[in-house]
Amino acid sequence: MFESIDDVITRLEGQNYIAGRGIGAVVYLASKLEKPILVEGPAGVGKTELAKVVAAALGRELIRLQCYEGLDEAKALYEWEYAKQLLYTQILRDKIGEVVGEAPSLRDAVQRIAHEDDVFFSDQFLLPRPLLRAITSPAPCVLLIDEIDKSDAEFEAFLLEILSDFQVSVPELGTLQARHRPIVVLTSNNAREMSDALKRRCLHLYVDFPDKAHELEIVRLKVPGASERLAGEVVSVIQRIRKLDLKKVPSISETIDWARALTLLNVESLEDELVQDTLSVVLKYEGDIRKAQHELKEHLELQRAKLKRASADKDVLH
Amino acid sequence: MDAKVVEFTTLLRRNGVRVSLSETMDAFRALDLVGLGDRETVRAALRATAVKRAVDVPTFDRLFDLFFSGLTDAIRDATAATQSALELDDENFEQFLADLERALEEQGLELSELARALLRVDPGRLERLLREAARQARVDQIEHGFQEGRFSHAMAERLGLGELGAELDRLRRDLSGAAPDVARRLDEYLSRRLRDLQDLIKSAVRQELDRQDVQRQDRQGLQNLAEKSFFYLTEEEVRRMEEAVTKLAQRLRNVVAIRRRRAKRGRFDSSATLRHNLQYGGVPFRIVFDHKRRDKPQVMVLCDVSDSVRNVSRFMLQFVYALQDLYSKVRSFIFVADIGEVTQLFAEYDASQALEEALHGNLINVYAHSDFGRAFRGFHRDHLAAVNKRTTVIILGDARNNYNLPHEWVLKDVQQRAKQVIWLNPENRMTWGFGDSEMDRYAPYCTVVEECRNLAQLYRVIDRLVTV
Repeated sequence: MFESIDDVITRLEGQNYIAGRGIGAVVYLASKLEKPILVEGPAGVGKTELAKVVAAALGRELIRLQCYEGLDEAKALYEWEYAKQLLYTQILRDKIGEVVGEAPSLRDAVQRIAHEDDVFFSDQFLLPRPLLRAITSPAPCVLLIDEIDKSDAEFEAFLLEILSDFQVSVPELGTLQARHRPIVVLTSNNAREMSDALKRRCLHLYVDFPDKAHELEIVRLKVPGASERLAGEVVSVIQRIRKLDLKKVPSISETIDWARALTLLNVESLEDELVQDTLSVVLKYEGDIRKAQHELKEHLELQRAKLKRASADKDVLH
Repeated sequence: MDAKVVEFTTLLRRNGVRVSLSETMDAFRALDLVGLGDRETVRAALRATAVKRAVDVPTFDRLFDLFFSGLTDAIRDATAATQSALELDDENFEQFLADLERALEEQGLELSELARALLRVDPGRLERLLREAARQARVDQIEHGFQEGRFSHAMAERLGLGELGAELDRLRRDLSGAAPDVARRLDEYLSRRLRDLQDLIKSAVRQELDRQDVQRQDRQGLQNLAEKSFFYLTEEEVRRMEEAVTKLAQRLRNVVAIRRRRAKRGRFDSSATLRHNLQYGGVPFRIVFDHKRRDKPQVMVLCDVSDSVRNVSRFMLQFVYALQDLYSKVRSFIFVADIGEVTQLFAEYDASQALEEALHGNLINVYAHSDFGRAFRGFHRDHLAAVNKRTTVIILGDARNNYNLPHEWVLKDVQQRAKQVIWLNPENRMTWGFGDSEMDRYAPYCTVVEECRNLAQLYRVIDRLVTV
């Protein structure tokens, strides 16, 4: 378990994840208050990553449930394996015959079978899905419910019981209570507004794109090979590109990819011709790339002007 | 602190952030855990527990600053200003304070609590003293800007500003034996601090005034927003209304999704059931139903965007936009005197931009005089062919025709071809048919005519539409 907010931040940093004070506080509170975290924010700011690193930092298993339209209980919670149950009764027919065999009456036979009820309804025939696995897991774990906004409103309602009490009712077996309350992380891209009932049960965390200093720190951490100058330039260009009106805004992972690609190509600064060709790493639409090229050119001119002024100053000094 | 948190959540609620009781309790527990030491941590804890929508975050931040900290910041700023006025860097300033301390001790001078807090730079204690004085002076009863002076005066009196002035004068005399440049600096320090305190009192009063203002605005309330007529909305309300309309559309979408799913389930399908259960040895564990085929509803919306209904049409269009999201076959038109189709526009742009384009773009002349007859004739000429037995035609407008020809025969034609014609009128029903209103002429050719003056009515109408 986490000791304090600072502990959260250092341990996440140990997993190569740079968390601000806001994220640290929410993760700490979630672990102490035993409440799920609902993480919202634009795509590619590291929402899913947060759940992964929390699991890694605590040395827990990560159980992941990916949501999509039409996801239902059978796929999220458990499935009852009728076929297997049927097969077993077929195979064990003789044995059943033995048990029932000497019963004097039908009523008696039913009684005997009823006696063996729990053989037929045991977790042998229960196929656990992510939610049930998280609840019955013998060791504490982290449950990630990814892209909850893609699921239907009914599924959201169904989640309420699990999120508030960490228990589920399986008609065949009864109510199952979690042995350890898992840390639950829900992520949402805001494709639709979540219901108030769900939000009430969660701590809310809004993650936005990082500011320049923060992103630079991330790039340095993830791409240690990149030169100081390259990392700085990449980040400031990306920050500028994000302000453009684009179809798809570059995410943090794309910043990292770009820095990595340029490092591999031995590019030292964005002046290089190669840079134009690698823009497709960052942007995925033709129109976006064209806009970004324009922006990049402006950035470079600005840089050059700055350099020229600096050298001119030097000349004056001489 | 508890009372303060409750007061803060109440303030949030009045500003349209929904905070439930259980969330307030979470906030308490969270603050217990993280402590009150660090402002940003307190902010993060409160935000995580009480604010659940990204759109509310700016409101929260604004109110948090207003409520929790202004004074601390003001004190820090004042100290920093004094320090730079004395032309001392951090280290020298520390040194200076230590010197002052030593001089006081040597002279055996006792300071009052206020003077100590002020001169030794103890922001926590200073803030506490200021708040206590504000409470005693009942500053929270301030209502207008012109009362600022009076309340500042009362607060200064409670704080003992007069006594402090005398005390500092005495101090200046007692310490005048020091070297000239030290004495000069000390002199300046004392007079600056006194002025700082006066400024702090003023800013404390002003902050209280701001806070009261926010609360008062909210008290006057937007609670009846749903019942308020579209015509009388203020700018702030328009903004809120847009949120409300979007939420309404959201709700509608969920309702429709559920209804569709329920409606889809049809009769027992025996052959599919048999097939599906072959894997269980023919024992029917899984029952399969066939799906009902549903007619895809087709909707055509004609929205009046003339000056007389400008406020209304904004929301109407917003709703049309949401509708278009909801159903695959919605065609949207806007008209004043000419008629233009905005379906494509709505499909391509996001809501606000699409509205902007529709209302100020080059599609139709929005500054013309309304002419329903002419617009209807245009519709008849260009788009009547698209109306068929499954089409619902919705007309949003006040039917104020500037005494032009109404051409109601167009509606008659449309009604004969369409499934239904619905007219939503943003005017009070009492005024229909008076002046240049042609409502009575159009009404016979509409399946439904509804008054639609506020959000509640709009929702009722749309809800019925969805059910149809």
